[in-house]
Amino acid sequence: MSSNCTSAAPVSASKTKTKKKHFIGQKVKLFRASEPILSVLMWGVNHTINELSNVPVPVMLMPDDFKAYSKIKVDNHLFNKENLPSRFKFKEYCPMVFRNLRERFCIDDQDYQNSLTRSAPLNSDSQGRFGNRFLSSYDHRFVIKTVSSEDIAEMHNILKKYHQFIVECHGNTLLPQFLGMYRLTVDGVETYMVVTRNVFSHRLTVHRKYDLKGSTVSREASDKEKAKELPTFKDNDFLNEGQKLQIGDDNKKYFLEKLKRDVEVTDTCFVLLFFLICMCFVFYNVVFVCVQFLATLKIMDYSLLVGIHDVDRAEQEEMDVEGGGDEEEYENDGMGGGALTGSFGTPPDSPGNPLNCGGFFGPGEFDPSVDVYAIKSHDSAVKKEVYFMAIIDILTHYDAKKKAAHAAKTVKHGAGAEISTVNPEQYSKRFYEFMSNILS
Amino acid sequence: MMRAGRSENLVIMASASSIAASIASKTKTKKKHFVAQKVKLFRASDPLLSVLMWGVNHSINELSHVQIPIMLMPDDFKAYSKIKVDNHLFNKENMPSHFKFKEYCPLVFRNLRERFGIDDQDFLNSLTRSAPLNSEAQGRSGARFHTSYDKRYVIKTISSEDVAEMHNILKKYHQFIVECHGNTLLPQFLGMYRLTVDGDETYMIVTRNVFSHRLSVYKKYDLKGSTVAREASDKEKAKELPTYKDNDFINDGQKIYIDGENKKMFLEKLRKDVEFLAQLKLMDYSLLVGIHDVERAEQEEVESEDNEAEEEGESDGGGIGTPPDSPSNTLDSTKPLSPGEFDPAIDVYAIKSNDSAPRKEVYFMAVIDILQHYDAKKKAAHAAKTVKHGAGAEISTVNPEQYSKRFYDFITTILS
Repeated sequence: MSSNCTSAAPVSASKTKTKKKHFIGQKVKLFRASEPILSVLMWGVNHTINELSNVPVPVMLMPDDFKAYSKIKVDNHLFNKENLPSRFKFKEYCPMVFRNLRERFCIDDQDYQNSLTRSAPLNSDSQGRFGNRFLSSYDHRFVIKTVSSEDIAEMHNILKKYHQFIVECHGNTLLPQFLGMYRLTVDGVETYMVVTRNVFSHRLTVHRKYDLKGSTVSREASDKEKAKELPTFKDNDFLNEGQKLQIGDDNKKYFLEKLKRDVEVTDTCFVLLFFLICMCFVFYNVVFVCVQFLATLKIMDYSLLVGIHDVDRAEQEEMDVEGGGDEEEYENDGMGGGALTGSFGTPPDSPGNPLNCGGFFGPGEFDPSVDVYAIKSHDSAVKKEVYFMAIIDILTHYDAKKKAAHAAKTVKHGAGAEISTVNPEQYSKRFYEFMSNILS
Repeated sequence: MMRAGRSENLVIMASASSIAASIASKTKTKKKHFVAQKVKLFRASDPLLSVLMWGVNHSINELSHVQIPIMLMPDDFKAYSKIKVDNHLFNKENMPSHFKFKEYCPLVFRNLRERFGIDDQDFLNSLTRSAPLNSEAQGRSGARFHTSYDKRYVIKTISSEDVAEMHNILKKYHQFIVECHGNTLLPQFLGMYRLTVDGDETYMIVTRNVFSHRLSVYKKYDLKGSTVAREASDKEKAKELPTYKDNDFINDGQKIYIDGENKKMFLEKLRKDVEFLAQLKLMDYSLLVGIHDVERAEQEEVESEDNEAEEEGESDGGGIGTPPDSPSNTLDSTKPLSPGEFDPAIDVYAIKSNDSAPRKEVYFMAVIDILQHYDAKKKAAHAAKTVKHGAGAEISTVNPEQYSKRFYDFITTILS
């Protein structure tokens, strides 16, 4: 009946990165993880996707779907203690909405479930604002971010409009792709998590990473940050290094139009906005609306996350590994940082993993339906690179910020003052201009 | 699973299968034709049944993530899994928004299912593909019965005292099953649950159906070997399939015509079972006897073919559909079975009549209602104080040992 899968496969998946990694599809999911909270996350996603498979897909979402949740509380006694805590709770917010979003982002529920449950999610070195914890699915397709209850409230506030935006741009946006939102309770402690599509590739390693806001105050990686395996560099670092993102004119145009749509505000009301969206879309000016969307919702302090994959360097690294044999173990930070980390096996892809497509990819090649944010450097670029760029951290609302700023009263050096005087509109404009300038 | 573009198909399929399910639960036409549902909606007439379906589905799925241990541990007999669901504006169509489901000793019952030759996936399908059906059968104290839609399993609503008694006997019961290799006339206990809906707790136990999932039973007896008050009431006789008792059996001159070999095997099993029950001081159990009349069934089939399109038949808790089996139900054997034929791996209690029997029959006989403990009875009897007519006196003086002997002797007699 149920096979007795050993723990060897998942453990090796999380620790080693040898080329010969060879992942066997598990029929029995044990939800084994280094921490109870990860086991509960795996169990919870497994459960909610299974539940949803028994709920027919409605013709369209209803207002109630945006207020809905499913809650489950497990209390086992002397049963199933090996991998799961005996007591835990799992809550999924707006299950129907996120199922619909997954569909619009072309993510099959079964694949989503497999990515999050076949093997434990991995810790990521990356830190968000306020030290939020990051995890990535074992196959690096999805990022799981620990958020605050305020973030959950903000998500609920924007969810309807966000969903509408996704409908209108047909999922074609640089905004985070929100795929699921959960609350886990283990040992009485509540943890909120949001799952998004990974900005970086599940395969191609990222060698350099930037978090850009278009602001110039305190926008430099600290020494502590620089000591990490894949530091997150910032605006000043980018400019000082003379970093270039050479994507070519067509890509640039397409990208900026998406960006603008995501970020900037216009004077028009939402109905006209919709008209603009249609117009823009007709001309493939997809970017335009994203930026507009965020400003319209009075959201700010978001960043453009940029990851750069150096094709030649990756080829070199692969040859080094082949030469070095299977002994080496690399740390995995889940976000595509470091020498060989981030990629799950190196090409050719493990044929055993059905999530890898059948064809083999050459160096610097990718499947755009999986690595949706990837843009190749143009032919006459100095270095052969692949860029991954998308907007992250969109849950800071201007009103919440103002309240916090007023409460703080003191304005530290210039920073506090500058930040509190920029409004969402100004932020989006500045953001957009900065990005336009760095692309060539 | 939910691919863009297939959502409409899914909605249509879901409504089609729900229609099929409602038809399946109401009619007994020969052409019943059950489409395998990928989406299980747990749709039922009663929220309690939806919760049962959901719960069994959940529990079997959970178990599929728990490794099968080499052997059961003492803790497994004290274990339970509990789950509480609280939905808000979600999944309200077929399920209540708030309910609880508790499974007692999951690993033990999984092991028992295995020993009784029941695959967990099949068990799951039987209980979840379509809602269990109400059964007219009444147990002691009016306990409520359902059968799985495919009639393979019986779901009995029991009391919390019964649940406690089950826990008391479970280890020894399991050991007994191990030793007899699942070959017994005792109830095959397959799962025990507590469901909470609208604040009300309902305890349920699932056993293998004594009768056939296919062959209809036209006459039914509940035999104890006692002669006091062992007659079907008029109210009972008015039912579609009344439960007759000892006196009716004797007065009707009813006979069980089975050959020597079958009789020997049957009585040997019965002897061991009854010894086991006496050891555990259990009593007041019965032998449930169901008789399938082959010619009568063939006749009924011909009649129902004639009336087919118009009629909707009531479910009588007996056979479901008539041969040949619907080919789409994977649980039925692949070749069609001729009249009076059965698959002994599924209809485990079936015994054919011998060649010299006046009518061609199939008998289904097994022990039921084994959870009455002598000590609990005595307490209740002493509390009552008054002894009504001779009955109370007689019942309170028979002990489990005597009960078992009298029971066994009676059954031996009726088989000759």
